[in-house]
Amino acid sequence: MTRPPTTPMRRRSVLTLLAVSATTLTSGCIRRLRTITGWQSSNQMSLEIKTVSADADPYALRIANQVAEWFRSAGIDTTVTPMSNEELLRQVLLNHEFEMFVARPPEWIRTPDAFYSLLHSGYTTASGWQNPFGYANLNVDELLKTQRSATGKRRHDAVSQLQQTIATSQPFTAIGLADDIRAVRSDRYTNWQDRSLRSSLGYLALERVDEQSQEGTTAQEQTEELGVVMNDTRPTTNMNPLSVEFRPTDDLTALLYDSLGYVPERETVDPWLAASWKFSEGDPGPIASVRIPADLTWHDGTPLTAGDVAFTYAFLSDTTLGGGIEENPDDDPTTVPAPRFQGRSDLVSDVRVIDPQTVEFRFVECQPQVARRAFTVPLLPKHVWSNRTQPASVGGIEVGTATEALVTKNIPPVGSGPLTFVENDPQRSLAFETFDDHFLTRKEHSELPAPLANGPAFDRLSVRTVGSDATAVEMVASGDVDVTGTAVGAKQVPRIGREDVLDLVVKRSKSFYVLGYNARQSPLANPRVRNTLAQLIDNEYLVDDVFGGYAEPAVSSLTGTDWLPPDLQWDESDPVTPFLGTDGELNVEKAKEAFRTAGYRYNDGNLVGK
Amino acid sequence: MNLIEILSQVVAVVLVLLPVAMVIIVGPNRLRTALSDLRPRVREIVPIFTVLGIVLAINSVVRDSGNNLSWIIGLNVTGYIHVIEGQFVAYLQSMATPALTAYFGYIYVFGYTFLLVFPLFAYLLHDDVRPLYEIVIAYIINYSVGLLCYVVFVAYGPRNFMPELVEPLLYTSWPHSQLLTSEVNTNTNVFPSLHTAMSATVAIFSYRYRDIYARWLPVAWVIAVSVAVSTMYLGIHWLTDVVVGVILAVLSAVVAVRLGGRLSRGSAGFGADWIGNRLATRVRGWRRDD
Repeated sequence: MTRPPTTPMRRRSVLTLLAVSATTLTSGCIRRLRTITGWQSSNQMSLEIKTVSADADPYALRIANQVAEWFRSAGIDTTVTPMSNEELLRQVLLNHEFEMFVARPPEWIRTPDAFYSLLHSGYTTASGWQNPFGYANLNVDELLKTQRSATGKRRHDAVSQLQQTIATSQPFTAIGLADDIRAVRSDRYTNWQDRSLRSSLGYLALERVDEQSQEGTTAQEQTEELGVVMNDTRPTTNMNPLSVEFRPTDDLTALLYDSLGYVPERETVDPWLAASWKFSEGDPGPIASVRIPADLTWHDGTPLTAGDVAFTYAFLSDTTLGGGIEENPDDDPTTVPAPRFQGRSDLVSDVRVIDPQTVEFRFVECQPQVARRAFTVPLLPKHVWSNRTQPASVGGIEVGTATEALVTKNIPPVGSGPLTFVENDPQRSLAFETFDDHFLTRKEHSELPAPLANGPAFDRLSVRTVGSDATAVEMVASGDVDVTGTAVGAKQVPRIGREDVLDLVVKRSKSFYVLGYNARQSPLANPRVRNTLAQLIDNEYLVDDVFGGYAEPAVSSLTGTDWLPPDLQWDESDPVTPFLGTDGELNVEKAKEAFRTAGYRYNDGNLVGK
Repeated sequence: MNLIEILSQVVAVVLVLLPVAMVIIVGPNRLRTALSDLRPRVREIVPIFTVLGIVLAINSVVRDSGNNLSWIIGLNVTGYIHVIEGQFVAYLQSMATPALTAYFGYIYVFGYTFLLVFPLFAYLLHDDVRPLYEIVIAYIINYSVGLLCYVVFVAYGPRNFMPELVEPLLYTSWPHSQLLTSEVNTNTNVFPSLHTAMSATVAIFSYRYRDIYARWLPVAWVIAVSVAVSTMYLGIHWLTDVVVGVILAVLSAVVAVRLGGRLSRGSAGFGADWIGNRLATRVRGWRRDD
């Protein structure tokens, strides 16, 4: 991509080169010139941070700007390039076209096994959140394997060691866990605090305000609508659960697509659509027999059977279903896994249909606790998605190496979830209705906790989009909608407080802001450089200044879980890469010293290195 | 409050301002005589308004795909603009007061709409259709070139580039206005400022035809300058966008004057101008049809 002119043309060095060549040429000393050109002076280190615009995210750009300022103080020429959400994910996760980026990885990174697909060197060429950093560390690979198969203390030790290594070698710098701030109205729905609206469970856990307490009880007959305003137009144009750029979370698509299991609390997976599952030992990994209830149907009325479940896993691991995509006839056919779920679908080595209600899963070498993660992927109807295995094309011309499944808008979506798709107006709105045939609405699901087992408290869910979080809050205040579906920035807290009709809901999210490095290229390929850069970042200051205190600084992405070792606990400062300065003020001399130790030098205040 | 309400607010304000301004600027006498003799003039200007309508319709259809295309082929120039002008907009915002914010907010939404609409009616009431022809052509050129720039350049405004220094004042003080502005444009389309280009165009023509409506000249200039300042004050545009917007306005006015003169004079003297010739033939074709 483009960037502003960085280093001014090094006129001096060009002149020197010309002068030297003139001298050497006249003296006939070509060999000498050749020797000298090996010693050309090097340029200032320059880095670009890609992130989203302030409209799209209240914090990301401000983090990037502040980090860039610290880097500049340390003599690094740093630019920040804002772009749209969709574009950032495309450039970073699909094309790996970046040096650094500020973004929020999905919430699933907060379980130890998530590190496997996030950082294993075997995933550096994959797409999506499969090692976008291009990080390769053989010790880490070994630890990742150990934590998969070990249990108890051995696993705990491996995970601790893993976090230590990551914190030192810095494939990414964790900034902090941000709070989700939302404006809600409680006159029609309650239970906003129960679960995060970052997941579909947040919507399903809502409860309707008791009809008797409202004026006029005739409301029973009319459609109960839940109005949601989002500062993100992506859901209104694309409903594909496999799309990397359009799906930062599954908040809406998981309402349309059920999965076998769900995550009630962190680190456990309980049956959702599945009636039950039973694990047994196998070779090399465990075997699970999963039973699904009879009489389930997709939204279009087609029966949902074990065949669809088996299809889903085969399809997610290769969306060409064995057909492959070759760019040239001589190439090896490639498999095209669905990047959003690759880490989880790769846990499964084989899925077999035993009978219409039973599926047998064979897993790679891992223990059942890890294997269960695979049950959280969305189930896809075979009769819809088996037609999307061909290479994606524009006007009949095949472009790139994606299958139709990965690029389709998938409108209207056909799932089996508690809500069905009704309509969408691209860039503006979206509407779902409850699915009468869903298992939540017809069966006693005693295993599910109360607010979820009752099914949705509304008949219709309407999503409207706006361009900024201030407008989103105002839409809730004026009664057009019930809640800001996308979290708003800390700056909106006073606005929410001023409005009597609004309730402020603040929930510590499980979603991190990270500064990601592209370790595929110099100078960021050097872990010492990344470690030093991390010491130029004052998380504590960012939490106060950018997040207005609505965040928690962190070193490891497992902060807030039982997996965090005591020595990675945040204790007023970063225990591994402490800030080289105080209160956001960088100590330039210390920073220079750190870079000199890393083998770099300073030229006129500019950080230069080979 | 929703989009329809915001939209009807704008329409209502313009509908109130328009007759008042007509009486004051055009004058009751001219209004009376011109209105009695409106039909032939309206027939004469139908073709050019059809073209304007087509351009606006194309815009609303291709805006989304234009934005997508822009991300594929466009040049992200935000950083360059910042290098050129630095923190000028932040400096401008440091002078913000609630009263100024309210003034510029209303200017940006209501003042701008009124500024664009008034000349269309005022010049329609003039005997000669030439001013109307020229200004509509200038609108079309501004719009088309602007759209082209929006595809070729990806640029975010100051509020989206240095949020720690520049407040999105329009949206923090009047959040609902964003329902309207996001309908009209996307946040990557800031280079050049079409608000400035269109307003400057009106100002230029108010000077060119100051003999016709002398009172319009000061009004147009005050609003036009306010609009240009408001785009920066509200954190939406860079100074660079405004400067390029003014340049665009001057160029389109020059082209519009040349083209408009020929079109309104008829076919004589067209020979050399290929585009003008074709356009004229088309326009005459339409005229014959109705």
